Amino acid sequence: MKILVAVKQIAALDEDFELREDGKDVDPDYLDYELNEWDDYSYEEALRIMEAGGEGEVEIVPVTVGPDEADDGLRRCLAKGGERGIRIWDDAITGSDPSAIARILVKVIEREQPDMVFAGTLSSDHSFAQTGMAIAAGLGWPHAAVVNHLEYKPGDSSAVVHRELEGGLEEKLSIDLPAVLTIQLGINDPRYASLRGIKQAKSKDIEVLSHGDLGLSDDDVGEKGSLSRVRRMVIPEKGQAEMIEGTAAEQAERVAQIVKELKGAA
Amino acid sequence: MIEPEHNSEEVTRVLFQDFPEWMVVSFYIVAFAAIAVFLYGCYVQIRKYRRGASVNIKDIGHGIADMVKSMLAHKTLKRRDKAAGHAHALIFFGFALLFIGTSIITLDYDITGPLLGLNFWHGSFYLWFSLVLDIAGVALIGGLLYMMYRRKWLALPKLDYARPDRSPEDPDYDRNSYRREDWAFLWTLIIIGITGYVLEAARLVWLAGDPTVWDYRWWSPVGTALAYVFQGLGMSAEGGEALRLYSWWIHGVLALAFIALIPFTKVKHIFTAMGSLALRDPTPSSRLPMVDLEGDKIGYNRITDFSWKHLLHLDACTKCGRCHEACPANATGYPLSPRDLVLSLREFAADKLEKGSLPKDGDALSVLGDGPNQIRSETLWACRTCSACVEICPVGIEHVPMITEMRRQLVEQGDMEPTVQTALQQIQKKGNSFGENKRKRPAWTKKLDFEIKDARKEPVDILWFVGDYASFDPRYQKVSQAFAKILNAAGIDFGILFEAEMTAGNDVRRVGEEGLYQHLAESNIETLEACDFQRVVTTDPHSFNTLKNEYPEFGGKYNVQHASTLIRKMLNSHEIKLKKKLSNNTVTFHDPCHLGRLNKGYDAPRESIQMLGANLVEMKRSRDNSFCCGAGGGRIWTPDPVDHEKPSENRMREAAEIEGLDTFVVSCPKCMNMFEDSVKSTGNEKNIKVREVIELVAECMGLDDAPEPADEKSTAEA
Ligand SMILES: Cc1cc2nc3c(=O)[nH]c(=O)nc-3n(C[C@H](O)[C@H](O)[C@H](O)COP(=O)(O)OP(=O)(O)OC[C@H]3O[C@@H](n4cnc5c(N)ncnc54)[C@H](O)[C@@H]3O)c2cc1C
Ligand SMILES: Cc1cc2nc3c(=O)[nH]c(=O)nc-3n(C[C@H](O)[C@H](O)[C@H](O)COP(=O)(O)OP(=O)(O)OC[C@H]3O[C@@H](n4cnc5c(N)ncnc54)[C@H](O)[C@@H]3O)c2cc1C
Ligand code: SF4
Ligand code: SF4
Repeated sequence: MKILVAVKQIAALDEDFELREDGKDVDPDYLDYELNEWDDYSYEEALRIMEAGGEGEVEIVPVTVGPDEADDGLRRCLAKGGERGIRIWDDAITGSDPSAIARILVKVIEREQPDMVFAGTLSSDHSFAQTGMAIAAGLGWPHAAVVNHLEYKPGDSSAVVHRELEGGLEEKLSIDLPAVLTIQLGINDPRYASLRGIKQAKSKDIEVLSHGDLGLSDDDVGEKGSLSRVRRMVIPEKGQAEMIEGTAAEQAERVAQIVKELKGAA
Repeated sequence: MIEPEHNSEEVTRVLFQDFPEWMVVSFYIVAFAAIAVFLYGCYVQIRKYRRGASVNIKDIGHGIADMVKSMLAHKTLKRRDKAAGHAHALIFFGFALLFIGTSIITLDYDITGPLLGLNFWHGSFYLWFSLVLDIAGVALIGGLLYMMYRRKWLALPKLDYARPDRSPEDPDYDRNSYRREDWAFLWTLIIIGITGYVLEAARLVWLAGDPTVWDYRWWSPVGTALAYVFQGLGMSAEGGEALRLYSWWIHGVLALAFIALIPFTKVKHIFTAMGSLALRDPTPSSRLPMVDLEGDKIGYNRITDFSWKHLLHLDACTKCGRCHEACPANATGYPLSPRDLVLSLREFAADKLEKGSLPKDGDALSVLGDGPNQIRSETLWACRTCSACVEICPVGIEHVPMITEMRRQLVEQGDMEPTVQTALQQIQKKGNSFGENKRKRPAWTKKLDFEIKDARKEPVDILWFVGDYASFDPRYQKVSQAFAKILNAAGIDFGILFEAEMTAGNDVRRVGEEGLYQHLAESNIETLEACDFQRVVTTDPHSFNTLKNEYPEFGGKYNVQHASTLIRKMLNSHEIKLKKKLSNNTVTFHDPCHLGRLNKGYDAPRESIQMLGANLVEMKRSRDNSFCCGAGGGRIWTPDPVDHEKPSENRMREAAEIEGLDTFVVSCPKCMNMFEDSVKSTGNEKNIKVREVIELVAECMGLDDAPEPADEKSTAEA
């Protein structure tokens, strides 16, 4: 069986940053790229299924849509396990929103024919929480969002998933494969990828595709293929903070005073 | 010496005197059997070592010379246990002389006599020989008696074999077999010694009528005294003859059995300890073993991954317990004792590698796990790589490199505390363990009223490598500022690397993340190579250690100094001008492991403190016996559990015993971090201040922080 794991190299923001001149994004100087935290968990979940299976029984393939630097994220995954990765990029893809990203990933999935697709519940930069669900919609596959526990043995034709609902409620459902799952933080304890492992993963194969290779036209990707586009980014006004210093007693006194002031004002 | 009426050749001891031939033959059969068993045992041991990984031994000549020196002086054995060291010297030299003596007899009787017709064991040589061996026997028995007394009545905790890393339910908890072996060893040797004298005395009683024996009796003073006792008790010549025959056989068979059993018992430490000392790396903890990252494996997982040298080290352990006693993890209830780690590995190696063939299933060779004699990951992660164990081990065992090698495997398998994982990930991403942005690294300099030179842009005399904790820890930032002010006031030409500096990686390497360490070392060296400077100075002993001892292997060869050395020099040369002295202060100094034990930097901070006029009182454990603050080896990234004492609390309580102590002086950012906590958690906050040597100097120079501006205060008081 095969599991495809959609992973994303996200942009992490400095505490102090500036916006790009066109005002549509952050100045790339202030961005560090790293793997989306959720994807560490979804990849770990895939690794565990792979390890539970016999030698060569389960294949896991990380896939990303992103430029060259996104290879780093794939390698971080491959350092932990898996033999090959796929990256899709060309300039036309720039400006894609989750619906366009999902359209690309759907094509990859149709080609690879995995039994399961894992995506993170959301990504820590844009927080759309839509890519996974949009993939499921594109494929017409069963899906479950925000999975925090997965019971699956390699070879089974269905999986049992637990989902976290509001108010501490948990839903347990069984889902037929093939299916798309979006994985929530805390489902497992992701392992550490040592730098040596990451370096050695350089010898593993990463296939690079363009949207054309997948049979998509320019209109399917980028801004043209998206349902939304960024018009402007702004930094909201910050509220005033006060640093409270002194001994614990002095600090407590000050806090009490502030509470009183606010109560008085309300 | 020899009376004129006696033929010198007759003044000797006739071997096998009056033995029937079958008895002599039986003796030779027993002797050859013993030697065969001994040789087979040696073969099994050597085969075991050869199953370990290969290793480059540098400078073996030097190693052997050092080993001989420390053996003759018994230097390593006398440290921190003088009495045991002296007793061991008595046993060692007594045993060695007796062994040489017996070999001389064999040489004369079985080799040079029959082959060359050359016999020399008679006359005055024989008499001197007798006297020396008689004294050697006294030494041996005296030493053994003290050791028995020590084991039985001193009840030393380091000898009780209690294990912190196992609970009584575990199958490998019980170490009583060691205790039995210890006693069997002592009793066997002492009986060999005593039967030697009995035999000697019985022979004298028997041959009292033979002047070539009796006239020279006082050359064997102990045997003669005992012979008088026997005679006093009414023993006849015939009685002496019979006793001599019995005691001869008991003595002979025991001695041969002892030799036969050497390779199978703790007695083998005679050889393994010598080997271990000769092969010891002089800097095992300050320069950890290099790794080829391209190789197909890393670290120690299987027992066969251990170098043959480390396998030999394991067999050298004499269970003396010195490391067990010195280990801060063991002292504060963590599941680690360096002694038990070594002994578990030794049992494991014996179990897997002494058989004719290796187990078919390679995984059965893995030393990492919860099974019998395996090493648990919690044990490995409890180590602070403080090197207290390596420092005191009398036989030169290298615990720290072995622990690091095993951790390298754990890191590769991702088996570590989540907090350590987070720290390593932060370092991978940002080059510092605080997860702070690179740009924030020099933020502490903003509070200074002068600019620090950017060593990347202009030449400097001193390149100050600041390090992670000195850059980001809010408490230690004050020390960094004070150091900058001192250098500035003294007119020193210095600069820093600002955001280009990455953590030096000392602790990353000690955690076992070798790939990340090498990346950090290479990146920092690349940055340093592009700068123009004369020497590197750092306040951080961790950075100091790796820059000085480990960077050279990556091509970064610099003149590296710890700040305390620079401070002492500037105090001596009056580049530092003191406006006041600390004559009213009673202070103590805590040696940071990486400055003290690992780099022998004991004196510079002490002399600096004394030049400031403070009354420096030492703690009980100081210098090479300093007790780690608990932060080393990456432990700073794992919060200590709240339910038992932290090493830093143990240490602070020790300091608090000093009467009138007002200042606990540190010389390391990580120590500072640990002790600022423990001074509070042990309730000593009111009486004792934790301060850096640098802060004391700055205070005496009148460079302390100006009183806080009034407006900040008013916020706190409003
Ligand atoms: C390095 C990089 C640079 C990019 N630069 C631009 C840019 O300049 N302009 C632009 O408009 N878009 C860019 N994109 C693509 C795009 O911004 C996002 O991937 C897309 O908007 C997804 O939305 P989200 O981040 O909210 O995803 P979410 O739906 O919140 O993500 C949740 C999960 O969806 C999956 N996922 C999301 N994105 C991807 C992906 N790209 N590849 C594989 N799986 C994914 C992952 O499993 C992830 O955990 C870039 C992507 C990358 C990786
Ligand atoms: C930041 C963020 C966090 C998210 N977190 C979660 C999460 O924790 N869990 C999660 O499941 N999804 C989450 N999502 C949304 C998610 O990915 C999809 O949008 C979601 O899966 C759609 O399914 P749903 O069951 O939540 O919504 P739906 O049940 O489809 O409801 C959405 C809307 O559809 C309409 N609708 C639904 N049912 C009816 C009806 N009977 N009659 C008329 N109108 C109807 C209503 O307008 C309703 O508001 C998150 C989205 C974001 C942006
Ligand atoms: S290095 Fe220190 S903490 Fe580690 S085993 Fe040795 S003495 Fe114990
Ligand atoms: S390892 Fe060294 S110090 Fe520790 S018990 Fe063995 S011989 Fe003694």
